[in-house]
Amino acid sequence: MPPVEPVASPSGSTRARPTVLLVAALALMVARVVTGIYEERHPTSVPDLVRWQPIEGAEAASREQKRPVLYDFTADWCLPCRAMQREVFGDPESAQEIERVFLPVRVLDRMREEGGNAPEVDSLQRRFRVSTFPTLVVVPHGGGDPVVIVGYRGKESTIQRLRAAQMEGLLPRAMRPPGGAVRGR
Amino acid sequence: MNLTLVTTLWRQRLTSPVRMAILAMLSLMPLLGVAFMPGAGLALLGGAQGLILTLGAGMIGQDLSSGVLQLLFARRLRRPEYVVSRWLGVGAAAAVISLLQLAIACALLAGRGAVPTAQDILMFGGGRVLESFGGAAVLAFFSSLIGGFGDLGIYLLVNLGAGIVQMAGQVKQWLWLARAGAEISAALTPTIDLVRLVTVTPMPWYPIVSYASTVVLCLALAIVVVNRRELSYASG
Repeated sequence: MPPVEPVASPSGSTRARPTVLLVAALALMVARVVTGIYEERHPTSVPDLVRWQPIEGAEAASREQKRPVLYDFTADWCLPCRAMQREVFGDPESAQEIERVFLPVRVLDRMREEGGNAPEVDSLQRRFRVSTFPTLVVVPHGGGDPVVIVGYRGKESTIQRLRAAQMEGLLPRAMRPPGGAVRGR
Repeated sequence: MNLTLVTTLWRQRLTSPVRMAILAMLSLMPLLGVAFMPGAGLALLGGAQGLILTLGAGMIGQDLSSGVLQLLFARRLRRPEYVVSRWLGVGAAAAVISLLQLAIACALLAGRGAVPTAQDILMFGGGRVLESFGGAAVLAFFSSLIGGFGDLGIYLLVNLGAGIVQMAGQVKQWLWLARAGAEISAALTPTIDLVRLVTVTPMPWYPIVSYASTVVLCLALAIVVVNRRELSYASG
């Protein structure tokens, strides 16, 4: 038995009704329902200035507009993804450059929250073998091997790697680095 | 809070070879991931769920089964104080181990040239501390209901049930059912996503209220259950 200091109770009973806790629990439950309903109707958002395009038809649009597709594989629970969203996609200059050079498409993973993903999300994850978030994939508009950038190592590094990926996509096939896809970290 | 009860709990946990072996495994495995995949950053450390379960399993139930509760209450220790001390003991232990793990992960990442930002470290560490105390509150409630390591069984059953509900919602395409499953699952290890809290506008209150309500409700219910227990040598 652990050596415990005896605590005197005026009534001699060891029981004490947790009235304050129960009232607080009730009040918090009411607040939970109220804030839940309110925030469902007025959703909050992370600053993001990039106008993301829908997954369907993105690659066809990329061929038409002669811009490579930039897939952003992300998840709500992923901390580096949030940082990237805030620092890269939330930065006016970077967002503008991304929209000018690429056709940006966000691929949001909902496996952890909903236990499954939409078929088009699953299909893209399988196609580019995405197992880590964030992962950026640049698919050249003229066909060819995609450039895969895994992880987030700061705004400058990401922008530089995206520029490099875009340049690689512009090269004729014969001049691209051997092995095609670059899986960078 | 009764400091003697808290330190006794820590001593009990530290002297259990099985718990220590599981704790070492749970703490070191994610660090291996961080060491070999620095690109994924701190995300590979995952949550503190395993640590909380290992440290907290049987936090009240073990004392109930072994007869220690009868002796404690015979010394006129107040029951709410006992419950709160157990909760704080488990929560603080899980938080300290989480922060140690985070410190080692940061050192490993720094060695690989992928140092996380101060804000990331702060957010991750804060989230882990909140998760530690949140998960400990849920386990305190489960542990007050049943003796021995029954709390672990209840936890796993509820988790499994939530998973099945979530899956059924997915299969039937009933979003409300899938959401209910996800909510139950999340309530088992309450935490607050601090990154989301500081990055989204306007600041969401639901995660804060949701966390606080789960923790307070679980502690209040645990105290009510322990209060209702008839504990005497005669009761067996």
